[in-house]
Amino acid sequence: MRRRVVITGMGVITPLGHSVGELFASVVAGRTAVAPIVHFDARTFPTTFASQVSGFDLAKYLPDAAKFRNCGVNTKYALAAGKQAITDAGLLEIKGDRSRMGVYLGSGEGQENFEVLTTSISKATPAGERTADFCQASALLFKRLNGPQEAEAEMYAPSGYLADTFALDGPFASCQTACAASSQAIGEAGEMIRTGEADVMLAGGSHSMITPTGISGFNRLTALSQRNDSPTTASRPFDLTRDGFVIGEGAGLMVLEELEHAKARGAHIVAELTGYGSTADAYRMTDPHPEGKGAIRCMANALADAGLNPTDIGYINAHGTSTQANDAAETAAIKSVFGDHAYKIPVSSSKSMLGHLIAAAGVAELVISMMAIQRGVIPPTINLETPDPDCDLDYVPHHARESRFRHALSNSFGFGGQNIALVVSAFKG
Amino acid sequence: MVSNSRRTVLTGFGVLSPIGSTPEAFWDALVAGACGVRTVSLFDASELPCHIAGEVQGFVAKAMMAETKYRKELKSMARTVELGVIGSQLAMQSAKLAKGTVPPNRIGIEFASLMGASDLNDMAAASKLSAPDGETVDHGVWGAAGLNEITPVWMLKYLPNMPACHATILYDIQGPSNTQIPGDTSGLVALFEATRILRRGATDVMVVGGSEARINPITLSRHNLFVQLSKRNDDPTHAVRPFDATRDGTVLGEGAAVFTLEELEHARVRNATILGEVVGWASGVDRGKKGPGLARVIRNALTTAGIRPGEVDHVNAHGTGTTAGDAFEACGIAEVFGRGVPVFAPLSRFGNLGAASGLMELACSVLALKHGLLPGTLNHEKPAADCPINVHSGAPRPVTKPYAVKVTYTDLGQCAAVVVKRWSDA
Repeated sequence: MRRRVVITGMGVITPLGHSVGELFASVVAGRTAVAPIVHFDARTFPTTFASQVSGFDLAKYLPDAAKFRNCGVNTKYALAAGKQAITDAGLLEIKGDRSRMGVYLGSGEGQENFEVLTTSISKATPAGERTADFCQASALLFKRLNGPQEAEAEMYAPSGYLADTFALDGPFASCQTACAASSQAIGEAGEMIRTGEADVMLAGGSHSMITPTGISGFNRLTALSQRNDSPTTASRPFDLTRDGFVIGEGAGLMVLEELEHAKARGAHIVAELTGYGSTADAYRMTDPHPEGKGAIRCMANALADAGLNPTDIGYINAHGTSTQANDAAETAAIKSVFGDHAYKIPVSSSKSMLGHLIAAAGVAELVISMMAIQRGVIPPTINLETPDPDCDLDYVPHHARESRFRHALSNSFGFGGQNIALVVSAFKG
Repeated sequence: MVSNSRRTVLTGFGVLSPIGSTPEAFWDALVAGACGVRTVSLFDASELPCHIAGEVQGFVAKAMMAETKYRKELKSMARTVELGVIGSQLAMQSAKLAKGTVPPNRIGIEFASLMGASDLNDMAAASKLSAPDGETVDHGVWGAAGLNEITPVWMLKYLPNMPACHATILYDIQGPSNTQIPGDTSGLVALFEATRILRRGATDVMVVGGSEARINPITLSRHNLFVQLSKRNDDPTHAVRPFDATRDGTVLGEGAAVFTLEELEHARVRNATILGEVVGWASGVDRGKKGPGLARVIRNALTTAGIRPGEVDHVNAHGTGTTAGDAFEACGIAEVFGRGVPVFAPLSRFGNLGAASGLMELACSVLALKHGLLPGTLNHEKPAADCPINVHSGAPRPVTKPYAVKVTYTDLGQCAAVVVKRWSDA
């Protein structure tokens, strides 16, 4: 008998709320937080808007927040969401040995000092040249960069600080597979519990790329929506006029726990993590396989892992990025896996409201999926106005819908071809 | 840990390192006591306090890439990615696993990597436009004009998951693909996850690798700011001194170390050459880097392998040569092994390879067990009082026991340990 994995705590920092309750209320109401970028002056960029976290203050969560002043937002968001999740789960009350509780975080790159990089490179580049003097540039970087901040920009920092702050002394991992990262973290953390390596894992993701570098990179790839005159309608998954994704930021952490461990301490069980599928497209760097070859197998694997039939699934939280390629390929993949039943399953994209939280997208969407099971309400896909003949499923347009169901499937696909599907189920002892 | 009948063996090894870029050259250099730490030559680093490092000599990805049609994609690869992709190719060649040998959904990949540092020249023209005085940058100019000077593939060149992505395309790898980023532990963490995936039956073969190119202006200047780097610029081959009383810091290195990890029966059926077996592992956190947490992780690894400390031939340490790091690591090792088991630290040969460090260092022990010979720790001459362990230095000694334990950690106390076993068909 396989060890079962349940979710006993959740926490989020998102553009639509700094708690699970706020986030879910926002998406059920069809709200969006997409607005002009305030993190830096992006007015001349091809894309000038994003879905941003506002009013965030780490001190609301940690008394010693000042200790993290040199950390980037990936660490800060993770700590705030992590604090919510472990408080929700009652993990702080577990005394003594903490070596069977671990961390698995999908997180982003460290904070980059754009100002120092560009000014130093400029100074080391002779007028009219396109190449820098590396000797001079490195001397300037050494002089101008802030050492303590650079130390905190190392990629092990967000996961390391979660473990350190919440005394999670057990197994750890931290992955970066672009938009699939937090779903992959949750899936593999579940496996670590199933195999007996850990009893509890704090798993999820944290990410912001709303920086000059991040927006520049995505703009050069023409991946972002450029609907600058109407930010709130820019994220329009499955709509014929979709023109790219809307970048978001934030963090989500959940406490995964072995069932008997949770029962023994009387923990409140939110849902059960029943299925996980993970595949690679082996196709291209950014484009998904047009027929969703890898997406099909990851969904099928997740269903098989959960021991469920396609007809058992009551809701699909789609990856639904609002890019031409993803939404068509994902629709085709869902139809391939679910057959005729695909048309009977509500499929919605939280990204229509939340934007794309990149490495934190999957966990935020899994939180929404679990809340949908608990509350019996499926959040909508907003901005879906012009039907796309290639996207002909029931995307729950505009308005949330009441529905009682037991099992939800959540998809996350990333640049680089990683495909992850997770199945969460209402807990039944 | 749940017992599982599926066993996992290493069947291929690809290496690009400062001391050699074939398994044979790498091993010969280890035995000969060679050191790959030199004055930085990839750029003029003379203005930085520490300007010595371990560089992969003569690495040209274009010349090495076997799939000639794919060479055009090199424009989308930073050196970190190139090292990983070529390293993966070398591992697959070493394992005699041509594309299609394994059904695509029965092979996966786990890589250790990180967001690469931008090539300064990718940003030079845009920076000149947007920060003409070299003092302040105008975001408006960057967005309106600078951006047009940035190559469209800028971001793709540096994304952490790109070594794995390119390897999946080149070898039609359609099983799980993941990329680990927890610093110096990334390689072992990737190996552990690959082992889990194989044991649960999701795949039969996993490519497990790590790569990092660290010898560039951004990475080297950053690390000069927050890592204790050696001041021995005038004497690079003696700079890194693991567990030595005169140690004064580490140096950076670059490279790629990639294995193929395979389910035993799968390897046997295709008559693969087996380099060693992964028999146990553990990870965990030593908050505040005091020692007992690392000791616990080592003990857990031994427990999962079902062995006692006395069965271990040697411990393979991270041994960075930093004052605090070595004292911490020695404390953890000593708590489990005392002075009874020799400790070998290979890092003084090639520097700290970051994301590539764990698997490169592990490779030294895999080869040592295979060849029956343990090379000495270079530059360990005067045992440090704060490192109460038995460091093996000097001439190689025969391997006398079947197991080696590889240990590594990050500066936040994330610790990983793996137990590998010498392969014998008995």
